[in-house]
Amino acid sequence: MMNRRVAIVGYAQSRHQYDMQQTREDMVFDVAKGALKDAGIGREDVDTVITASTDFLDGRTISNVFLSMAVGAYLKDESKVEEDGAFAALYALMRILSGNHDIALVEGHTQASVFNPHQVSSFTFDPTFDRQIGLLNDVSTAAIQARMYMNGYDVSEEQIAGVSVKNLANAANNPNAQRKMPDITVEEVLSSKLYYDPIRELTISPSSDGACALVLASEEKAKEITDNPVWIEGVGSCQDSYIRDRDLLKIGSLQIAAEKAYKMAGISDPFAELDVLEISEKFAHEELMGYEALSLCREGRGKVLVEEGITEKYGEVPVNPSGGALAADPICATGLIRIVEAAKQIREEADGYQIPDVYKALAHGQFGACAQKNVVFILGGE
Amino acid sequence: MRNVAIIGCGQTKHASRRRDVNVAEMVADAAWNAMEDAQVTPDEVDSIVDGNMQGFGGIAQAEQWMGEWIGAPGKPVLRIATGGTTGGSVAQAAYYQVASGLSDIALAVAWEKHSDSKEAGATTGLLHVALGNFFHTFNYGMDLKSLVATAAVGAAAGVAVYQARHYMHRSGCRIEHLDMVAAKDRSNAAKNKYAHLQWPNCTPDDIAKTKMIVEPFRYGHICPASDGASAVVFASEDIAKKKTDRPAWIKGLASYSDEENQMMSENSGGTGIIDASEQMACRLSAMKAYEMAGIKDPQKEIDVAEIYQPFPSQELIFAERLGLFDETTAWKATEEGETEIDGRMPLDPSGGTNATNAIGSSAMQRVLEAALQVMGKAEEHQVPKDVHNAVAHGWGGVTNYIVVTVLGDSPRR
Repeated sequence: MMNRRVAIVGYAQSRHQYDMQQTREDMVFDVAKGALKDAGIGREDVDTVITASTDFLDGRTISNVFLSMAVGAYLKDESKVEEDGAFAALYALMRILSGNHDIALVEGHTQASVFNPHQVSSFTFDPTFDRQIGLLNDVSTAAIQARMYMNGYDVSEEQIAGVSVKNLANAANNPNAQRKMPDITVEEVLSSKLYYDPIRELTISPSSDGACALVLASEEKAKEITDNPVWIEGVGSCQDSYIRDRDLLKIGSLQIAAEKAYKMAGISDPFAELDVLEISEKFAHEELMGYEALSLCREGRGKVLVEEGITEKYGEVPVNPSGGALAADPICATGLIRIVEAAKQIREEADGYQIPDVYKALAHGQFGACAQKNVVFILGGE
Repeated sequence: MRNVAIIGCGQTKHASRRRDVNVAEMVADAAWNAMEDAQVTPDEVDSIVDGNMQGFGGIAQAEQWMGEWIGAPGKPVLRIATGGTTGGSVAQAAYYQVASGLSDIALAVAWEKHSDSKEAGATTGLLHVALGNFFHTFNYGMDLKSLVATAAVGAAAGVAVYQARHYMHRSGCRIEHLDMVAAKDRSNAAKNKYAHLQWPNCTPDDIAKTKMIVEPFRYGHICPASDGASAVVFASEDIAKKKTDRPAWIKGLASYSDEENQMMSENSGGTGIIDASEQMACRLSAMKAYEMAGIKDPQKEIDVAEIYQPFPSQELIFAERLGLFDETTAWKATEEGETEIDGRMPLDPSGGTNATNAIGSSAMQRVLEAALQVMGKAEEHQVPKDVHNAVAHGWGGVTNYIVVTVLGDSPRR
């Protein structure tokens, strides 16, 4: 149980694309302004601002310095997390729960076209032992994980490609998505360029420029601001051991984070109780592993959910009707976008990809190689 | 609102080059010291917040591979990085972990290992920011104003020079007073076994003999680039009362951003803060933190202050902005010995950032040192009076980020 109810009362995201042809400042300004406008409040109503970006991805030291004006954080109580925006949302939530603040603006962004994010990822490995020969990056480690998962649970490349087919086709209806492929087939996915076996161009998330912002408010304020608040009913976050020291066959920290969030939200049977899920699957196989960590199915059975269409838009438990991270991945915004997409489903604003009768939704953000850190939000309507 | 207290502090010895440890070992040293001091085991810690200046030491997202060293696996870990204020921002995020009710015990860890990167991290940090801006202008057009503004920045020292000049101009402070501040801080540091630049009984004359680097800063005024880490354990009221007789309660806190700095403001649509010593964000942060803490007159109610002062002028500027002295009078108070360790308003009894600057950790060290004063555990540099309230300050960004934390010997009511 949280000691205060907190709701999402407004949000905005950019149209994610490879090269946005917009400065970071402009892009961040647009989503911050958009989120406030969506909530129907002004900058003066905001108590605190939490942003998410990393210096390596932004290519600048103290990258938020130049964005305080754009995001509207100047002369406000603010801070920055250096990871996915979903963690910024978690921090903003904590600030409101403490009672020190009532309304928070959360923003996350990355312009992946500026620096190759996969190259930058190699700096996040152990400098003494793992960076010397330059083999490890987020894609190569994901390939190791994917191969282990395939071997461990007898999962085929076709089954993993099924995730890409579902998500990229879903993305066709999402105006903000970058990679829209309404007629994609498993064969096309498997004939796309091979990066690190078995990771291919279409089983990895694209490099995107994009930003996302949302407004959180305490119960009293939320009721003043909107008739349609989306309540945060549960939250959980967890970090795994370093890639060398963990069981790559599962995403253990996601499981722990989800258990916490389920407990807080009073969910005992996620498969039956969740109406839609938005997962940050940076690689197609991660979505299958995600199903298992989120207790939608037993270990190793993720493939069945995709094969039988259970996680399709029309399925029993739709996952990533927006297209997920495979459709657009502006890294530090990706988890925040999942929260916004889940909230959109609850507010029935997902034109073209709306799931009928959504009362409870799950949003997931991750950071680090092989999804080392995870955060899970359970959202609910009135 | 839940009350939160600091129940344990840990730090490492600071030096130019800690070749005896690697970065993970150094950070673990501080984290375990803090947990030992707080009498908690890693299992009891519910969540961790960590941070350093990213890019310094040539590493990124260190918590991912360093997690095992500080007991992170299986726990929520939040990484915070806000420039010079990082340590203070990390401490405040750990406070919020507990204040939110999501954790009962949170560990905050911050560090810097400058010697791992080839650049002299401490002062080139801001130069990187300036260069970032410089390259930015290539994409969107280079005008003379941007070129001059970028060239004029000259890294942290460059910014501080303008700031010091502004302050000296309007307050009447002279370079001799900067010598006094630096001498006080270096001799205070000699009483702090963890400090970097220790100079027992340093006098203003000793500082005045050092080489002039850039008006008005002499070599003896400028902070070192240190290797070191600090860690603080935060706990809820029940646990704090169980674990220790005298915790340091967090009574108020805020972290405001200023409008953009003098070099950016004109070019990027700010309102043009020409006086870098104005520091509105510090006034706002202090006002908010004092209000939360129920402090009406900081000059009377604050007993000791830990100010982030890589340059001595900043001790004076921020002491005024924190409301500890009337406008333009901090240098006079320094002259009269009021800011000495046994003075009316001791500033930086630990020696402060002027004596020890492991950037990512520096702003947390201010919180840590203020906590030690409240808990009566500062040993040789403990101020010789009862400490009921202490204020800790951090400064960062391009002169535009501020963190202020007020600590006290009794919980907030």
